[in-house]
Amino acid sequence: MKTLLTGAATLALLAGAVHAESHLVSTGDKRIALSNNYAGNSWRQAMLQTYEDTAAQAVADGVVAAGDAFTTSENQATEQAAQIQNMILQGYDAIVLNAASPTALNGAVKEACDAGVVVVSFDGIVTEPCAWRIAVDFAAMGKEEVDYLATRLPDGGNLLEIRGLAGVFVDDEISKGIHEGVAEHSQFEIVGSVHGDWAQDVAQKAVAGILPSLPEVVGVVTQGGDGYGAAQAFAAAGRPTPLIVLGNRQDELKWWAEQRDANGYETLSLSIAPGVASLAFWVAQQILAGEEVPKDLTVPFLKITQDDLDAALASTPEGSVANVSYSLEDAQGVIADAK
Amino acid sequence: MTMSVKPWVWAWLAAAQAFAATLVLTSGRGAGELAYAALSFGAFAAIVGMGQMLVITLGPGNVDLSIPATMTLAGTLALKVMGSDPGTAWLGLIVALGVGLAVGCANFALIWLLRLPPIIATLAASLVYQSVAIWSNRGLRIKPPEGLADFATGRLLGVPNVAWVTLVLAIVVWVLLERAVWGRWLLAAGQNLRAARLAGVPVQAVRAATYVAVAVFASLAGYLLSSFSGGAALNMGAEYLLMSIAVVVIGGSSIAGGNSNVPGVIGASLFMFLVVSMLNSYGAGAGVKSVLTGAIIIAIVIAASTRRPRA
Repeated sequence: MKTLLTGAATLALLAGAVHAESHLVSTGDKRIALSNNYAGNSWRQAMLQTYEDTAAQAVADGVVAAGDAFTTSENQATEQAAQIQNMILQGYDAIVLNAASPTALNGAVKEACDAGVVVVSFDGIVTEPCAWRIAVDFAAMGKEEVDYLATRLPDGGNLLEIRGLAGVFVDDEISKGIHEGVAEHSQFEIVGSVHGDWAQDVAQKAVAGILPSLPEVVGVVTQGGDGYGAAQAFAAAGRPTPLIVLGNRQDELKWWAEQRDANGYETLSLSIAPGVASLAFWVAQQILAGEEVPKDLTVPFLKITQDDLDAALASTPEGSVANVSYSLEDAQGVIADAK
Repeated sequence: MTMSVKPWVWAWLAAAQAFAATLVLTSGRGAGELAYAALSFGAFAAIVGMGQMLVITLGPGNVDLSIPATMTLAGTLALKVMGSDPGTAWLGLIVALGVGLAVGCANFALIWLLRLPPIIATLAASLVYQSVAIWSNRGLRIKPPEGLADFATGRLLGVPNVAWVTLVLAIVVWVLLERAVWGRWLLAAGQNLRAARLAGVPVQAVRAATYVAVAVFASLAGYLLSSFSGGAALNMGAEYLLMSIAVVVIGGSSIAGGNSNVPGVIGASLFMFLVVSMLNSYGAGAGVKSVLTGAIIIAIVIAASTRRPRA
């Protein structure tokens, strides 16, 4: 509230917000729970941290009564379905959901809806129509990588694609976008494709294995989390470092900054901010407050360019991932855009 | 008994074939690069594979499913203690091995004192270890000290340092198994626990030592892998669960226990890296790759088991 007293522009905003909230009810007695399927990597850890910070602040401010976070231990849809059923029994008013499967939880989600619980899925979304979805346009993200390479390498050349975890929806979508991009920019050809499982050491291993059989590679398209491993593998093979599109891990950004200072290396970082959990939290709060919210919302992906690199690096904790924490106003903006 | 082909030959033959098939594609270019990469990455699989081999040798039902969590915990704690400070590599190694020792003792305590089947005990315990790893550092990636990172990615006489470490370990394990009384005890316990006990073999001590050994091997692999790849990650051990079991079986050790061989595990570790590289180089999609990898593994296991001399 303090910052709202700083100027005329923000006062105008305040007036707008008050007006917008006029038809809304208080959510001070409402309880929101996070159902999360996996915690075993730095992205998920940052996601949980952001959610917990956002929820704790909201509880302290009296916006909601509770904002607890729960994670299943085995990343199994059955286990998460049981978790959702428990949440219904515990009387939560809304469930913010990062789902283990887009379809396998639909039964449990439907039960929640029937019990009057608001379900907002994000990142790992569910297809059950009664739930809200906060999705990222992954295919557009993949295509943007190739579009960027086309601006930097107008002559084209050979590309290496590092994919994520085989069989996962996100991996298929990003890869589809990349291939669309390559079809459009015919000067590029994908000469090799490996699965890096979104893990740096797995990507490093896969790239080291395929490199000896590849011709000269001018660019590497990735899905995030694997750029540093790819760079290590190129260095170990004694090859020149190609243009690698990076994700949002701190070690990737740091490597980028080091290369930039050493030899003017220039690239782009595209990723999904783990803070999308805080956006989902605020969307759930808005629905509970009675706001009309469309079922399908889109969250922009996090983009770091050469110019923002230093700022992004400064705000990212050592060893973590670059992140954005979304506020209530951001959520209202996303909702307004979708209407 | 006729002179028969050793069961470990098949893993090495398969590795050589995968290597050759990849080079056919490049018409011989990049042979050194590929061999170097295979030795580097095969080393980690070989270390955990040798540990798993010792446990599997103990007989039916013995397996350590906590290897990935142990690797993650050892790597995470060691890197946290070292905190990228130079000259702390030995301290980190002691912490990692200490984690291995503690994990091994805890696993065996669950198996022995609570009489849990090893599969359940190690799987359940691995959730605890993974959680401790998450709790201790919340997934933040700390860089290894520079000297240690240089060692883990460096080479001696053209061979990766991690491969030298693996070779030393392999010789130790081989001597223990083939030339020391402890190896006889292990094989005896694996072939028939009851008979071994009646013959005066201290079977519980053998089992305890084996479960500690596998955890120490896993923690060493975790320490080396996190130093090699620039930091510990919470999911860094994930692929080594099935890998550790696969290399044991492909290497020609009996999954029913009571029979083990070290050279096979090493050959199989090289093979597991080379076969994926080969399929990647030929541009196989994820589905085709999984199907072919599975089919090739089954073929090797059949080859290795049907040629085994009948005892």
